[in-house]
Amino acid sequence: MKISKNWLSRYLTHDLTDEQLNHALTFSGIEVEATLEMPQLPEELISAKVVTASPIEGSDHLKLCMVDANDPEGLIQVVCGAANCRSGMMVVLARIGAVLGDLTIKKAKLRGVESFGMLCSEREIGLSDEHGGIIELPSDTPIGVSANELFGLPDTVFELEITPDRSDLLGYIGIARDLSANLGLPLKLPEIKEITAFAKQTLPLKLRIDEPTLCPRYTARLFSDVVIAPSPLWLQVDLIKSGLRPISNVVDITNFVMLEQGHPLHAFDYDKLLKENPDDEGPAVIVRKARPDESFHALNKKDYQLREIDMVIADGQNPSALAGVMGSSGSAISPETTRIVLESAAFNPSSIRRTSYHHKITSDSSYRFERHLSPEKTIVTSLRATELLIDFAQAKVASELIDPYPLVDKAKYVALRPAYFERLIGYPMDVEQIKSYLTRLGCEFIQEGAWHKEALEAEAEIPAVCDAEPTALWFKVPQNRVDLVREVDLIEELSRLDGYDKIPMKTPPSRIMDHHASRIQEVVSRHLVTQGFFEVLNYSFNDPASLQDLGIDPELNTQKLINPQSSNQSIMRVTLLSGLLENIRYNLNHFERDLKLFELARIYPADHETEPLRCTGLLTGNQDETHWKHKTKPLDFSIVKGMLEALVEMLGLQIDSIGEYRAPWLMQANSLAWYVDDEPLLMMGLMDAEVCEKFGIDLGTLDQQLWMIDIDLHKVIELTRNAELTYRDLPRFPAVYRDLSFLVPESEKWLSISECVQSVEPALISSVQLLDQYRGKQVPEGFRSLHIRFKLQDEEKTLTEERIEQIVASVIKSLTKQCKIQMR
Amino acid sequence: MHTQLEELVAKAQESIAACRTPNDILDARAAYLGKKSVLNGLYARLRELAPEERPAFGQLINQARTKIEGLIAAKDKEIKNAVRAQQVQQELDPGMPGWMSPFGSLHPVTIVRKKIEAVFMSMGFEVAQGPEIEDEYHNFDALNTPQDHPSRNLADTFYLQNGKLLRTQTSTVQIRVMEKYKPPIKIISPGRCYRNDKPDPSHSPVFQQVESLWVDKGISMSDLKDTLQNFATAMFGPDVKSRIRPHFFPFTEPSAEMDISCVSCAGEGCRVCKQSGWLEMGGAGMVDPAVLSMVGIDPEIYSGFAFGLGIERIAMLKYNIGDMRILFENDVRMLRQFRGESL
Repeated sequence: MKISKNWLSRYLTHDLTDEQLNHALTFSGIEVEATLEMPQLPEELISAKVVTASPIEGSDHLKLCMVDANDPEGLIQVVCGAANCRSGMMVVLARIGAVLGDLTIKKAKLRGVESFGMLCSEREIGLSDEHGGIIELPSDTPIGVSANELFGLPDTVFELEITPDRSDLLGYIGIARDLSANLGLPLKLPEIKEITAFAKQTLPLKLRIDEPTLCPRYTARLFSDVVIAPSPLWLQVDLIKSGLRPISNVVDITNFVMLEQGHPLHAFDYDKLLKENPDDEGPAVIVRKARPDESFHALNKKDYQLREIDMVIADGQNPSALAGVMGSSGSAISPETTRIVLESAAFNPSSIRRTSYHHKITSDSSYRFERHLSPEKTIVTSLRATELLIDFAQAKVASELIDPYPLVDKAKYVALRPAYFERLIGYPMDVEQIKSYLTRLGCEFIQEGAWHKEALEAEAEIPAVCDAEPTALWFKVPQNRVDLVREVDLIEELSRLDGYDKIPMKTPPSRIMDHHASRIQEVVSRHLVTQGFFEVLNYSFNDPASLQDLGIDPELNTQKLINPQSSNQSIMRVTLLSGLLENIRYNLNHFERDLKLFELARIYPADHETEPLRCTGLLTGNQDETHWKHKTKPLDFSIVKGMLEALVEMLGLQIDSIGEYRAPWLMQANSLAWYVDDEPLLMMGLMDAEVCEKFGIDLGTLDQQLWMIDIDLHKVIELTRNAELTYRDLPRFPAVYRDLSFLVPESEKWLSISECVQSVEPALISSVQLLDQYRGKQVPEGFRSLHIRFKLQDEEKTLTEERIEQIVASVIKSLTKQCKIQMR
Repeated sequence: MHTQLEELVAKAQESIAACRTPNDILDARAAYLGKKSVLNGLYARLRELAPEERPAFGQLINQARTKIEGLIAAKDKEIKNAVRAQQVQQELDPGMPGWMSPFGSLHPVTIVRKKIEAVFMSMGFEVAQGPEIEDEYHNFDALNTPQDHPSRNLADTFYLQNGKLLRTQTSTVQIRVMEKYKPPIKIISPGRCYRNDKPDPSHSPVFQQVESLWVDKGISMSDLKDTLQNFATAMFGPDVKSRIRPHFFPFTEPSAEMDISCVSCAGEGCRVCKQSGWLEMGGAGMVDPAVLSMVGIDPEIYSGFAFGLGIERIAMLKYNIGDMRILFENDVRMLRQFRGESL
């Protein structure tokens, strides 16, 4: 539903900005789907009169208009191309200098004819998307009135999503009432006048409801002397801003009242309604079910084959409307109409819904009726329309209100216990505040304390809840609030109006647990387990002698126990390695040859404020278990490195460099580390056999290699904290791959080779893969042969063959120069 | 042109018959029916014929085309059926081992610790961590331990040269969390603890404990019993019962010892439970008001319970491990048994 801020402000005294209004609506539970600003127009836009409009020679649509805009220099010459432009019409003229969005009105020449302005369409002034012709103002509009005044600008239109339970919000007054209750602002309702003047002659009508369960109330009032004409401009503008097209005064008034009151109306042409029996005094309006094989030609010019469950408003013979959904074309208001029947009724929402759904017709009327409207609203709605028909269609009232009301909507009384509010919402609300909010919503406070059915008028319907509760507050609920039936419904209203932001939170969000640290530990240990590692747990102590064997000074940066159980448990451990070496020795001695062990635990260096987490592993023997088909092979450099590389990827670590790593227990060759800020984060290497021997591990005799991996988990956790991954859109253009095979001196390392390739076109070369390395026959001493593949991809376009060849040539040139390669 | 067509069909027939693989079929289709095939070229050459001959010959080309298509489809089916037949006939020995990518396991104590964490996290507890190297204040004073209490002895507690000590229980984390955060506090804190005990079947100088602490308005012994029973059920199954018995700890008042019904004999009495039907799980109680006051929490407003469990002991009960020292040997033959519990 679209609502204009200016129109809304007629019912609500406020000085809210658009943002404040948007916020208030949103937190009332009314979702704002879109906000459309209609800015103030330049003062160069005014009403004017087209004095003459004559065709321009050589053009099939342009007209030369002489326009009266009260200009002291006389008429203004304007060229206009609109089909509806004609002499004598009142228009909106944009004079020279006016700026409309991107368009500045300047003196122009069209077909050799000079033009000193523009006649505007609704779209050009930002009122709607209508651009079929120029705006025609009512003929009695004075010349020279500012367009802002004519169209009520500036304004803002809010497009609202009303939840299906709130049929009371389907009109301006409903929205205003809710905001008034929410913000404590005064509500201004239009005064509905008593009908005093009647036509000389009253008209007869036979009105009958055959189906009271489908139509609990149907009111009709007759009018004579109606003059069908365009509506006054303000009314047309109101409708346009709310997304409806003006048609004529009578139809526009029913639409206006529907938008204002939220309750749809319908007007029939009295003279097109037939009698039921020839000797009836007047025509009939009968609410009944459709007859078998009855068909219906609707206002939308389509024919519908009705079913017996469809509810119709019929005259004495044929359906004149699908009740609450759409009128027939036969009984519609036409320019010749002089006498009308004004319907204001209430219909069963399920029936409307079934008919609308089955016949695939939805209208502003069916949209509202299927959300359940109260019969109690029919009278005020009819009176409001009556008043406007008298004022703007010169209508004379030709009957009393005919009002059969077979199924009376009983008054609703609901009790509310303040203590229940607190129990359900979480904080107390005082009794006066409760009364104030509910009264502003239109509820009437009846009394406090136990109240029994016997004490009420006969027609009241009381839910049994808490009817004997001494603290209960009894309210009479407005009947148009069909959603307020139970105590909890009122509690929801109170909580909503007081603001959900007032509801206190009991438990602060999780704050003690370091979720990130535990997740990273989980990732690392799971990864190692899926690589075949077993976790070990060793005591938290180091033996000073073992540290010395590893080349670590036991006096440096350690914390010592005063009362160790033995001297080999006298230092709080600074490395997990000695324990792991013990575990390897133990297991090798038990004839387990293929071992992968890790420990993930704290270490206790003296210079560290916390006890940093470390993860260290040792592995030896074959990579996999023996298998009859897939032969296993001994662990080697690339297998061990791959384990850590996978971890780097899994953790999303941003590594600065990969380089050599030195430790007294590692062989120089095959040892390396991943560095961040010049500190090693992950380390790996081949254990020095001499060191191992000190721990009772004889690698030489076993003919096995012992590999170490080591992860500074504390640093990994801190480096990955708050890291965010961002999805990149998929490439729209295909990638191409190119392979190169070349000889390269042993001194040139892979990282510099791949970097060299990438640096040729960093934006286009997205990856470089190593497919093969070969040393041996046909490869000279001191060289190796590499086979690489790189991926070329442009984010903007498909790469041409020519461009690809050019890049490949550059890559070869660059590799030759920087890495001394020889193409094979 | 007629002869050409006939030759073409004959040639196609021959080479389709010679097809052996699905790829051969693709090649044959391209060669005889494709855009650049001779057959397709014949359509263009129709104009070389006299206008009246064209329809008849056009029809002939179409017939040839249909014939070749039929031959190719038949051959295609034949080849694919043969492959399928071969697959169906292959001898299978379903018992032969499949290839597994290698996998190990976590240590059983870690497995049990993670299970305990998961159980408590599902009850809304957070996992908190604290240092193992502690000061006297957090390990003893703040926990209401008297100055001359025997647990402060060198024979019971490890001390470091720098004056610090190794925490004897994870209750230290309680104190650190309560110093830093206001209630509600609902945590567990698992981790290593140290006591100067010689390793034997049921003792180890290094062991792991999990401490639980819940401080809020209105926390009572009843919450303690609830939490304990929920934990026991999640850990050992729906038939396990729990109970608390009066006991003494300096930092809780009232204090209790927690038992669960023996998981080995279901309470009948056996070697594991020393015929009592019950297994001791750890100490518990309502946090002593003095402890709360010491960390600045008003015991008139807040109350809380705390309890501590030995993780090794639970692991031993759960997996029927008879000697705690087995857990620290790290024998892969032991560890390998836990591959099914790990992930």
